[in-house]
Amino acid sequence: MIWIEPPRPRPVSRFFETRRLLSLILVAALVWSVASVDWTGGIVHSGGGNALKDFFLALFPPDLSPGFLKLALAASWQTVVHAVAGITLALIIGLPLGVLASGSLGNPGRSRLAVAATVRFVLAFMRSIHELVWAVLFVTAFGLSSLVVVLAIAIPYAGILGRIYSELLNDVPQEPLDGLRSSGASPAKVLLYGRLPMALPEMLSYGFYRFECGIRAAAIMSFVGIRGLGYEIQLSLNDLLFSQVWTLLLFLVALVLLVDYWSTRVRRSLGS
Amino acid sequence: MSQPPSTNEVGGSGASTPPNGGVRPIVDSRSIGKSFGALTALAPLDFTVGPGERVALAGPSGSGKTTLLYILAGLLQPDRGELFLDSQAVSRLRPGKELSEIVGLIQQQLDLVPQLPVVQNVLAGRLGQWGLLRSLASLVSAREREMAYNALSRLGIADKIDERTSRLSGGEQQRVAIARLMLQAPQIILADEPVSSLDPARADEILALLTDLVEDSKGAVIASLHDPELIKKYFSRVIGLREGVLQFDIPPQQLTAPVLAALYGFDRDFPNNSAL
Repeated sequence: MIWIEPPRPRPVSRFFETRRLLSLILVAALVWSVASVDWTGGIVHSGGGNALKDFFLALFPPDLSPGFLKLALAASWQTVVHAVAGITLALIIGLPLGVLASGSLGNPGRSRLAVAATVRFVLAFMRSIHELVWAVLFVTAFGLSSLVVVLAIAIPYAGILGRIYSELLNDVPQEPLDGLRSSGASPAKVLLYGRLPMALPEMLSYGFYRFECGIRAAAIMSFVGIRGLGYEIQLSLNDLLFSQVWTLLLFLVALVLLVDYWSTRVRRSLGS
Repeated sequence: MSQPPSTNEVGGSGASTPPNGGVRPIVDSRSIGKSFGALTALAPLDFTVGPGERVALAGPSGSGKTTLLYILAGLLQPDRGELFLDSQAVSRLRPGKELSEIVGLIQQQLDLVPQLPVVQNVLAGRLGQWGLLRSLASLVSAREREMAYNALSRLGIADKIDERTSRLSGGEQQRVAIARLMLQAPQIILADEPVSSLDPARADEILALLTDLVEDSKGAVIASLHDPELIKKYFSRVIGLREGVLQFDIPPQQLTAPVLAALYGFDRDFPNNSAL
């Protein structure tokens, strides 16, 4: 009859050992990668220095001809559309999965824990495969369509959002939840009236951050050949037109700054 | 619904007569106890509370007051003993509607959701009665808004109804919590240190409001607080707890300085307002 969360014992010692093992592996990987660099030949290959110089000099100025600006604008728009669609789909999938993974729905018991564990596994699977890998997989299935980028963003991002949202929903202050329970609220109503409103500012903030990442990902993913900022960058790079590359990169920076500005505005209006 | 719900109108269920001819207790604690690991939060505790009683719980921090209130609220399950509220075993009551009609809890301001507007925090008192869809719809457009408005105007803060709850002062937030209780209308009101973070004038007002709710209704109020003057002014009985063990159960008039000193472990005489 009780809806209070049972205390979750954490296997402290084992967790610590796992973490130490992971740290060791990471340090070993770092040492190995540094050792494998061939220092005798120099890091920059011959002529590389000149290429770098050419590249950075092309910034002054970038290609600002009206025709190319129009092209960059169209590519940016394409990238934004991909990112918005991808992140929207990620939210639609990730939010309900996050709620299930948080274990805050339903009465305590084995079935709730089993559902939460299963969903957590699914989320881990979705996010452990990088969006570029998903993109390559989907290109073989759908061809060079926008759907590829949208799905390739939506799946791993849903996994990440679901994971983070489940934690945010659990990490809210408990007293207001007890207050709602004592007013007769079921777990679903505690979620609606307590967990969600209290976690919302952070959930929103993290969603915006992910949107920002989504824009970068959408830009990069069009390297596989779908129209967008990355596609144009690749074409200009192939032709060694560095001033065009810079124009496109500046558009990408502008997009990220715009999202940042927007998210600040929204968060301020929420008073958080 | 396995059992018929008790009536929503508080005090409307006094028709049945108790078997022993006396007044039927509204709270009947039969040896309820609770431990957290090796720590005994509450030693087996027997007491009853009759309708109309206003019981103060006194005792130092960690004496088991909050544990007892959480068990009485049905939020925490006792390890042993059985608790009867309105003559029904709490373990057999369904949480949600049935339990929320009998008992409601108010904490020191912490029970509100700061991000919600006041009206939603007040209407949360109806969640035990509302279905899930109605609860969801009410978040979009408040249902039964008049009820919330009436409760808030009785408490003198109707003008705050659409404010974000976190913008209210401590005293105002405590009124919002009381408004929620008024909509929930439980027979038994539990209050965990309801005035500990308020100034003396605010504390006086809040206790007057809380104990008034009981006089309206023939229910009962059980509140933990420290100030002996407030206990004497608003309560009909005081129970002393120390380390989970009942120390005394007396009328407030007998709450003398030596009694308090023994309860709180003071060497000196207990100064009147030091607990504030």
